Amino acid sequence: MTTTVPASGLHAFAIRLGSTVLLATLAGAALGNTASGGAATGPLVTTEWLAQNLNRGDIRVIEVSVNPGLYERAHIPGAVNLSWHNDLNDKLRRDIVGKQEFEKLLSRAGVKDDTTVVLYGDTNNWFAAWGAWVFDIYGVKNVKLLDGGRKKWEAESRPLNNRAAEYAATNYRVGKVNLDLRARLSDALAVAEGKSQAKLIDIRSGDEYQGKIFAPAGVPELAIRAGHIPGAVNVPWGQAVQEDGTFKPKEELRKLYAGVGIDGSKPVITYCRIGERSSHTWFALSKILGYDVKNYDGSWTEYGNAVGVPINNPAGTVWAAK
Amino acid sequence: MPFSMIPTTWQPLAAAFVLAGLWLLSQHAQTLPTGRTLVFALSIGIALGVVLQRTRFCFYCHARDWLQRDDPRGILAIALALAIGVVGMTVVQSSWVANPQAGQLPPEMHIGPVSWVLVLAGLAFGAGMAVSGSCISAHWYRLAEGSAVAPFALLGTGLGFAIGFHTWNPLYSAAVADAPVVWLPQHLGYGGALALQLGALALWCAWIWQRHVQRRSAGAPAMQPQKARDLRSLWQSLWTGRWNYALGGALVGLISVATIVRMRPLGVTATLGSQVRGALQQRGWVPERLDGLDGFAGCATLPQESWATPNALVLAGLVGGAFVASLASRQFTPRRPTGRDALRGIIGGTLLGWGAMTGLGCTIGTLLSGGMAGALGAWVFGAAVLAALWLDFRLQAWRLR
Repeated sequence: MTTTVPASGLHAFAIRLGSTVLLATLAGAALGNTASGGAATGPLVTTEWLAQNLNRGDIRVIEVSVNPGLYERAHIPGAVNLSWHNDLNDKLRRDIVGKQEFEKLLSRAGVKDDTTVVLYGDTNNWFAAWGAWVFDIYGVKNVKLLDGGRKKWEAESRPLNNRAAEYAATNYRVGKVNLDLRARLSDALAVAEGKSQAKLIDIRSGDEYQGKIFAPAGVPELAIRAGHIPGAVNVPWGQAVQEDGTFKPKEELRKLYAGVGIDGSKPVITYCRIGERSSHTWFALSKILGYDVKNYDGSWTEYGNAVGVPINNPAGTVWAAK
Repeated sequence: MPFSMIPTTWQPLAAAFVLAGLWLLSQHAQTLPTGRTLVFALSIGIALGVVLQRTRFCFYCHARDWLQRDDPRGILAIALALAIGVVGMTVVQSSWVANPQAGQLPPEMHIGPVSWVLVLAGLAFGAGMAVSGSCISAHWYRLAEGSAVAPFALLGTGLGFAIGFHTWNPLYSAAVADAPVVWLPQHLGYGGALALQLGALALWCAWIWQRHVQRRSAGAPAMQPQKARDLRSLWQSLWTGRWNYALGGALVGLISVATIVRMRPLGVTATLGSQVRGALQQRGWVPERLDGLDGFAGCATLPQESWATPNALVLAGLVGGAFVASLASRQFTPRRPTGRDALRGIIGGTLLGWGAMTGLGCTIGTLLSGGMAGALGAWVFGAAVLAALWLDFRLQAWRLR
């Protein structure tokens, strides 16, 4: 059966059809490239996608912030809290959380093998990225970072609440621990002494890299020496992000790092002061660009305090004085 | 013309101007980073300033009325504030820390170390109250009443902080470093801590009341039946005399709880302390490293990068709100300070400042905010303050004989 549209109604029909297509297009554009209810592709999820998928049982949102009281007062509804200080670091030794403790944390958070974990946090996602690095070391399968973190979620006035999330505990077990993602002092030293082909990238501020200052203002943990590891290039972490805190597009990131000779042809080691800001760059290079990257969490507070290692100190600062 | 002869008819209009100024400040705060929290802090401060001024909520006066004049209403109002705060903070904290016995303290709550140093801090603070005639929070709101002592007391408080920074490191090594940080729910659970604190407050209030009744053999005066009042006279009654004691206690308790939902607990010394510390550190007049100090929860004195901190906005709101309340009630009665006023203020303030710095807060930061959160240290500090005041009143009575 065919339906004939009268000539007088044809115009109105075309307008209706056109506006429907336009609305559908606009809605599609607003949803970005990840459709609601679909699987998140890639290492990042947008705030829009997370807002659409908040209530899914196979997604666990986890906040990793450094400022105390932030999660407790308001967090993304349903998010679990992992304290960077108390949960993801060993409380006694300078080390990441141990395997058994990590299994307990994920079991308490109700994470299963097929759960998609979305991490987010304060201070530009530095500590959430550090969390992503730890989650990768322990082989958690589907780990994503909320692009833009808390800052963007709040800026868009998306909902927050302060109810502590409670999920049925699971019995999470870590499979293979991937220590290839972690650089040690010996790895950094090998590069400094020309015994390794890896590329070092120092993501601290220019002043820290030059040795003009020992650490950002207000930071109590310092190194005895200022400067950087010989051979390291300097790309402050902030150059990888846009105004709203989201990562720059993939091609821009590729260009940015290629500009300092980091193109993925050789393994990379990222470092900063204690390894949290460098996790952010580790995430960009490793998860977004797919390079072979280790994060050196000992960073400058270890290297700059080590005895007998070569350093570069363009500013000539010694013992906090000229 | 002496100050006291100046007519007061202009004051309600001035109150409206102050209110407009506070509104402008809130508009500016809104544009700063974390503006929403800053505006909330300013609002909380204004509410606190109005409540403190209108109810004359003052730890020293309430203790003096009870211990010296046998009027227990004020001290019972403080107990009411604590009781309401304990219940409210238990509700909030039990959502923050599901299992208090797991070893984690609720973030930012004023739960500090308990040692003889805290007792010493409380005694010094109590002595400072006795000498200067107020606690620090009351000195802030009395600025708005034209107090001749308050400006000197607040200057003295700054001086006390400076001395406190110098004495901190040896005291820390001697006792504070090893002192236990006791959060009652960690040892008794939320229910146990709530029962213990409310029970102790109830027993204390019962004892206060019983003692009061025994001393007044004639009994309390019979309550006059209130006539129904129209709205206009009800409104006017808000700006005459003082509000009911119990209302003051209840509102202070509610404001304290509302505060922690959005920002750090109430405190009125952190801004002053961090300003003093920052200024002195720039000149090398205090130790560069204050051992362990910034690791404790309490009225933090770590110098801030910006003036616009929530604590500073609470303080601006408190003083502004007190000015609004005081002017609207025509209670701004400045007088020229005498040498005695200045001396009382400086000496008392110095003791207050040293006590508040060493005790990591004052009667608001350590006693109220800490006690409501279930910190044992708060009750120890409060008892020491009260002991110093009791001693002072006994001494005064002995002198009068």
